[in-house]
Amino acid sequence: MSQPKEIFVVMSRCTACKSCEIACAVEHSKSKNLYGAISERPVPKSRVYVEWVSPDGKVPIVCRHCEDAPCMHACISGAISRNDEGVVLTDSDKCIGCWTCVMVCPYGVIGRHLEEHKAYRCDRCPDRETPACVSSCPTQALIYQTVDSFSRDVRKDVSGEMLAGEGG
Amino acid sequence: MAVDKISYVIIGGSAAGMAAAQAIREQDPNGIITVLSEEPDMPYFRPLIPYMVTGKKSAGDMQLSGNGPYNGSGIDIHTNSRVDSVNVAEGTVSVKDQENVSYDKLLLTTGSRPYIPPEIEGTDANGVFALRTLADARAMAERVSVTDHAVMLGGGLLNLKAAFALLERGVKVTLVVYSPEVLSQLMESDDAWLIRNALDRAGLKIETGCSATGILSDKRGVTGVTLDNGSEMPCQMVCIGKGVRPNVEFLSGSEIIIDQGVVVDRYTTCSTPDTYAAGDVAVTFDPVTSERIVTGLWTNAVEMGRCAGYNMAGRKTAYSGTFGIMNATQIADEPFVSMGIVHTNNTDYEVHVRANGSTYRKVVFSPDGDRLVGVLFVGNITGAGMYRYVIRENMPISEMKSLIINQRLHYGYFMRS
Repeated sequence: MSQPKEIFVVMSRCTACKSCEIACAVEHSKSKNLYGAISERPVPKSRVYVEWVSPDGKVPIVCRHCEDAPCMHACISGAISRNDEGVVLTDSDKCIGCWTCVMVCPYGVIGRHLEEHKAYRCDRCPDRETPACVSSCPTQALIYQTVDSFSRDVRKDVSGEMLAGEGG
Repeated sequence: MAVDKISYVIIGGSAAGMAAAQAIREQDPNGIITVLSEEPDMPYFRPLIPYMVTGKKSAGDMQLSGNGPYNGSGIDIHTNSRVDSVNVAEGTVSVKDQENVSYDKLLLTTGSRPYIPPEIEGTDANGVFALRTLADARAMAERVSVTDHAVMLGGGLLNLKAAFALLERGVKVTLVVYSPEVLSQLMESDDAWLIRNALDRAGLKIETGCSATGILSDKRGVTGVTLDNGSEMPCQMVCIGKGVRPNVEFLSGSEIIIDQGVVVDRYTTCSTPDTYAAGDVAVTFDPVTSERIVTGLWTNAVEMGRCAGYNMAGRKTAYSGTFGIMNATQIADEPFVSMGIVHTNNTDYEVHVRANGSTYRKVVFSPDGDRLVGVLFVGNITGAGMYRYVIRENMPISEMKSLIINQRLHYGYFMRS
């Protein structure tokens, strides 16, 4: 099999429209549609966070599914493991809500589901070909690719810009 | 050409030992990994044992192997195998009532055991517990059937967890704390009011400023506790939570240097060749205070154990130390995180507190105001890991300062700057 895909963030393209947050919450709802999701209790939670940095930076922050995932090793109940695709998953049944993962995640992307007393995090949308946040992004600020093809695209863009610069 | 397989022997089958075994297996698919554990149970997630008291989890639910990151194969675990001594010159360990085991690389992860204050009389009575092992938890669960009232000696996290497990079983529980407030290791009295309110709401009775002098018992076990204020409390169970001590006695007579715990360098190596130590038994250091410390936290033990495992298997890895204070949990309905320097009374640290009726967030800066050195979050602990990152990396925080004080820090800041 080929390399697994990752979610890449192109910050310059983010307009902070928060479509990704909505799509993520809907994907993780029972009804899986916006109309149903907004009336569900507990309210479905987004696992992606669009933040703002002064003066005008917009940054979508998603779980990196770290190679050396601190949350997975810190977990005191064995609830966090990595699947064959490299996705780090929290098993809600095993989670005891001790929040150790929240304490060690440097990205701040592990949420606390207060109603259920469980930690929640990005699961890369197991039922979808492309994660909901990526599909919903109107400006392609979120890209779902392998590391190799993403870096190839970046190289192409950069060399195109350099050539244009030389020509002008 | 045949290559000799390295024989790794790990003494202790809990967090540090099993994390090391996993790390070794990731690096060395062929090495022989032997774990010697004195416990009768196969390795388990020790922090889950209060659930044995409540009955919400079985021993099987707490098994370590096959859960979380622990999927390494060919890890040979021997239970009921207590190591009596280590012979570094010969490269062997002596196991009680069993044959000696020889090693190429040895890891000491014997952990710690509860400290039982010798000044308290009668601690050997039936019904006196210090909740440490799955076996302790089983015995405690059994004693519940004859217990109306339990007295917990010590107001640390472990005793609070045990207290809540007993409350859940319908036992009346009184916590006896010498300090003016519970959790004094993790927060100051002035910072603990949200937790204290939660404990009161949960029905836990707390006696502060006193300690036990003796435990009374008859044939059937504990009947009461005497306190240093002259009072006496009838009870059928006592749980002692007065801290832990590293298990190092079996090393006396070996050349391995001990100073409280096993002394190691930054690469988790002991003073003798091919000997490593990690977890509660090892002396580590705090990157914030630079102090040498012995900690007792699952998460620390795993991190240090993995580091030791990598070093043993030939991937040189420095251990970056850990905060002397670091813990996250939920007590009753209040979550909290405490890490780094959080005791600030009569110091010149720069302290900022943001509090309302349901949250309390205290951030501590160095006296010159330029480094974050500690945080205590109660109620709302969102994003705590980022603050840990800032403390641990000793980052200059000038531009981030207002974000930290107002708890508006997010990772986007690090990506854009």
